[in-house]
Amino acid sequence: MKINGREVTPPDRAQRLLDYLRDVVELTGAKEGCGMGECGACTVLVDGDPVCACLVLVGQIEESDVVTVEGLVEDGRLHPVQQAFVDHHASQCGFCTPGFVVSVAALLTREPQPDEWDVREALEGNLCRCTGYQSIFNAVVSLVD
Amino acid sequence: MSLHGLPVDLQRSRLTGGLIVVKLATPRSMSELRRLAGTGRLIAGGTDLLVQMRDGRVEAHLIDISNIMDAPPAVNFDDGVVELSALAPISRIVDELDGRLPGVASSARLFGSLQIRNRSTIGGNLANASPAADMIPPLVAAEAVVVIERPAGSRTVPIGEFATGPARTVLESDEWLTIVRVPLPPGEEGFLKLGGRSAMAISIVSLAWRWVRSSDGTLIGVRLTLGAVAPTVVRAPAAEAALEGRQPSEAVVAEAVDALRAGISPIDDVRGSAWYRQQVAGDLLRQALAS
Repeated sequence: MKINGREVTPPDRAQRLLDYLRDVVELTGAKEGCGMGECGACTVLVDGDPVCACLVLVGQIEESDVVTVEGLVEDGRLHPVQQAFVDHHASQCGFCTPGFVVSVAALLTREPQPDEWDVREALEGNLCRCTGYQSIFNAVVSLVD
Repeated sequence: MSLHGLPVDLQRSRLTGGLIVVKLATPRSMSELRRLAGTGRLIAGGTDLLVQMRDGRVEAHLIDISNIMDAPPAVNFDDGVVELSALAPISRIVDELDGRLPGVASSARLFGSLQIRNRSTIGGNLANASPAADMIPPLVAAEAVVVIERPAGSRTVPIGEFATGPARTVLESDEWLTIVRVPLPPGEEGFLKLGGRSAMAISIVSLAWRWVRSSDGTLIGVRLTLGAVAPTVVRAPAAEAALEGRQPSEAVVAEAVDALRAGISPIDDVRGSAWYRQQVAGDLLRQALAS
């Protein structure tokens, strides 16, 4: 398995990806909100697709490429999605933010010019209890021509 | 102290999200799976099973079926029949259906969230046999057939006979699902659900339909199925009969809606009362007929 480009061998194949990332690899960007796939705070990319890291066992994705929110940073510079979230105040308490950023980054890779429906669909699996979503939506739209 | 007879080092606090799994097997081929079948609980996308395990369900031995290299393709078109892989992520099935089976496609698009669709499978949705499972109503309306594999061979079961109750199916412990065969619709098909919101909502009521509308508007071959109103997904024979061979005039629609409501006895639960479910089921049929 690769995590943010680095080859790793998880010691416990039956561990949830989220626990492995946070407790073993010490990448704490992905958060445990609900542990049931409802909130999306633990969203990471597995082979480019957003999934909930709380609902995958590491032994199920041993051949996969995993990218976490930490892996979106290049040369110490914020990913454009992260910068847009800063610019549009799309984060309040911040707990959901890594999950949203990963979902949006996946959307823009898949569809660089999404329409409103594409954006709303890409955000459907991420809950935010602070912002009311409009500032998040605005941040995403700012990245579309 | 040991919990459920398992060694202490396998017990992790539920508060830290730990699961109790002793062993995870990951067969890469159907022949490996055949050898392992029956020795543990199957896990595909895990979007239901891992939640149940987080809530305390213990599975000492899991067999992962999400990495079978010779699994069937997500979607295969074969002479009037669409074969859907029971093992492919639902998001892949949505992409590859490409406009065919519009009822199945709309239930798949409304399924969970993108994160969930990227992992969950039709096989898992069928095997969990929730009364509110969203993939089942359009497949029952289509009179699909489920292909079940076991170490010694395979068998097929009409999808309407697959679930026998909530979380109960005809699947034996050494069997697994590979394909769901869905005949192409001769006319229209569709799916509507009512949930608390459009994403990540368990259906309060869902309705799927198939019918052919002839040139004068007469409906033939009417198939109606409802989710979340009975222990399993059910057909609505009285409402089907009320529409069959008739034009859906206002009076005919009213008769069918009444028959649909009278033909179900849903329960009260946190998502809705029995009365509400009956009303809404009729409203969904009205909406389907107007679409």
